[in-house]
Amino acid sequence: MVALTIANLKMMVRNRQTTFWALFFPLVLVVVFGLFDFTATTSSKIAILDGADTPASLLLVESLGELERRGLLQRQDQPASLAEGRQLVASGDLDYLLAIPAEFGKVADSDGLEPQSGPAAGSDERPAPPTLILGGEGEERNQLIIGAVRQGVQQTEKNLAASRSAENQGPENQAGRPAPDIVATERVGVSSATYFEMVLLGLVAMGIMTHGTISIAVRISNYRNLSILKRMLVTPLSIWKFFAAEVTAQLLLAIVQAAVILAVGIFLFGAQINGNVFHMLPAVILGSAVFLNLGFIISAWANTPAAASGMGNVVTLPMMFFAGTFFSTSALPWLLPYAADALPLAPMITALRDIGLRGATAWEVWPQLAWLAGWVAATALVAVRVFRFS
Amino acid sequence: MSEAIRVEGLVKRYGNFAAVDGVSFDVKEGEIFGILGPNGAGKTTTLEIIEGLQSPDQGQVAVLGKDIQRDANWIKARIGVQLQSSAYFGFLTLHEILTLLGSFYPKRVPPNELLEMVGLADRAKSRVNQLSIGQSQRFTVAASLVNSPDLVILDEPTTGLDPQARHNLWELIQAIHARNVTVVLTTHYMEEAELLCQRLAIMDRGRIVAIDSPGELISRIETNYTIKLESTQPLDDNQWNALQGSGNLDRTEYYPHDQSRSDSSYLLRLDKNPEALNQAINCIVGSGISLKHLEIRPATLEDVFLELTGNELRD
Repeated sequence: MVALTIANLKMMVRNRQTTFWALFFPLVLVVVFGLFDFTATTSSKIAILDGADTPASLLLVESLGELERRGLLQRQDQPASLAEGRQLVASGDLDYLLAIPAEFGKVADSDGLEPQSGPAAGSDERPAPPTLILGGEGEERNQLIIGAVRQGVQQTEKNLAASRSAENQGPENQAGRPAPDIVATERVGVSSATYFEMVLLGLVAMGIMTHGTISIAVRISNYRNLSILKRMLVTPLSIWKFFAAEVTAQLLLAIVQAAVILAVGIFLFGAQINGNVFHMLPAVILGSAVFLNLGFIISAWANTPAAASGMGNVVTLPMMFFAGTFFSTSALPWLLPYAADALPLAPMITALRDIGLRGATAWEVWPQLAWLAGWVAATALVAVRVFRFS
Repeated sequence: MSEAIRVEGLVKRYGNFAAVDGVSFDVKEGEIFGILGPNGAGKTTTLEIIEGLQSPDQGQVAVLGKDIQRDANWIKARIGVQLQSSAYFGFLTLHEILTLLGSFYPKRVPPNELLEMVGLADRAKSRVNQLSIGQSQRFTVAASLVNSPDLVILDEPTTGLDPQARHNLWELIQAIHARNVTVVLTTHYMEEAELLCQRLAIMDRGRIVAIDSPGELISRIETNYTIKLESTQPLDDNQWNALQGSGNLDRTEYYPHDQSRSDSSYLLRLDKNPEALNQAINCIVGSGISLKHLEIRPATLEDVFLELTGNELRD
């Protein structure tokens, strides 16, 4: 069986079609997604909780208008409370929440014009600055928004200082306070992953899927056409060893494949993987097993290798788009998200993303692994039933 | 033990159609045994049952003295099989394929020795798709020898080969036989069966119609000589009747490879009457047929087949 596994690996490596589906195709997509700067084109969702509702706070809000006009930000409805807003960011419904405290814009006047403005009046302490709550967006985008808010705050303070100096000449205000913390930031939940990083892990799963399904379907139907399966049957080799060797070789290749795709994403395009890649192994192996079984099933239905290849594409291409490789399944209408999430590719992608981007461990993604294991069992059952040797 | 294969009352049905319909025969150790018959006669099905690829509906098969169903793996380790139209892994070299196949067997022959034997030693690093048809056919024979088998089963080893390649393969089969290996082969080439086989089973429509040595089979039939003649114009009724009187005249050509057939080609099959040849020649000369071509040859297996089955042997 070892000899057969090694022979299988040799054949796969020498087969250009295998290399295409296993590596070239996913890598082309990695390069495409790596080169496009998606942060430049997608818009982030922001909500503003304006606790002050003063001309100063309106000015700050207005300072984000430029980013809105460039399509980088999209204003959402104001949440009812800070707690609710934070919740929305944590769940991914919002990317940013800007909370402007009630005291904003009044502090600069606290030298006496408005004595009721707070406990900090007249002292060195400032009241709480505006807080930007960050969600799951990339670091680049985060810096852009933080910068815009900071500029807005500075502009507001400058305006206030100007009006105050016109009234009572108090320039020492500016000099005494270098304002290091004019914008506070707070991260909620998910560490920031870029769209590219999301897609990269989707592509790992997709590569394993297309290769597993299509190349095994083509190989087996080719073997059948050439009577190689029959030829195996007339040797004393137990036929389960033949299939075990096929599966082993394919799993080993899937692991190499995942490693290469990840490596290209990380080292060539600077993707950040937070989790332990070894925790991805169960998802890679279970997912690969499901797709191999699908390949065996297809090979039983297809009469020629070309038909097997076509049917493999019919199965894998829609799954690639539906199950969340590129787009979130939650963007589908009606009940379709549930259907898409039930496909074997979806839990595999979810598990890989949770591990790779959120640093989850293999056992934390057990629901996805269990679902995949169910798929393995179901497809194996069908494969054994429909398989034919000649 | 003197029988390499013993088949008794073998039946294999596909639905209502009996592909093998009560076949019995023995193959003796150390002989080259041929199964001759047209396509669809049941040759391949019979072999596949012997090889363990299909199970019989009725009947017993013993290979090398063991029952094929009880001792399948024991048998598989000791026989070599070349399947009809079987190819091999496309992305391995010949040497690698033979090594891989050998790894399935307890006893194995070094790949280089096998390649040497079939004249492919210099192609060890080639792949199957880089071989000519004749070479790849020789390679599949080499592959059937990886386990140094006691019995080799070859299913139509020469089908589709040009004459030169066919002769090479005949030599190869005789070389295998010279090593005391029992050989069973199927063919639908008469001259091949006549040349190679010590004994021959003629199969038609799932049954065996005769088993004997080629010489015995030929001497058993009614026809002794066949005269093939071609006239410049079709025979008239008188000529036809005259010839018919001295033998069995037929207009139809039953030599599928013969390109020279025309409307004025005839076959005259003579019976065993010692005078028949004389009579026929006198008749041809006397009836004033203007001859374009005349050929007299002794009966062959082809005549045997025709007489036994009433069928032409088609490609």
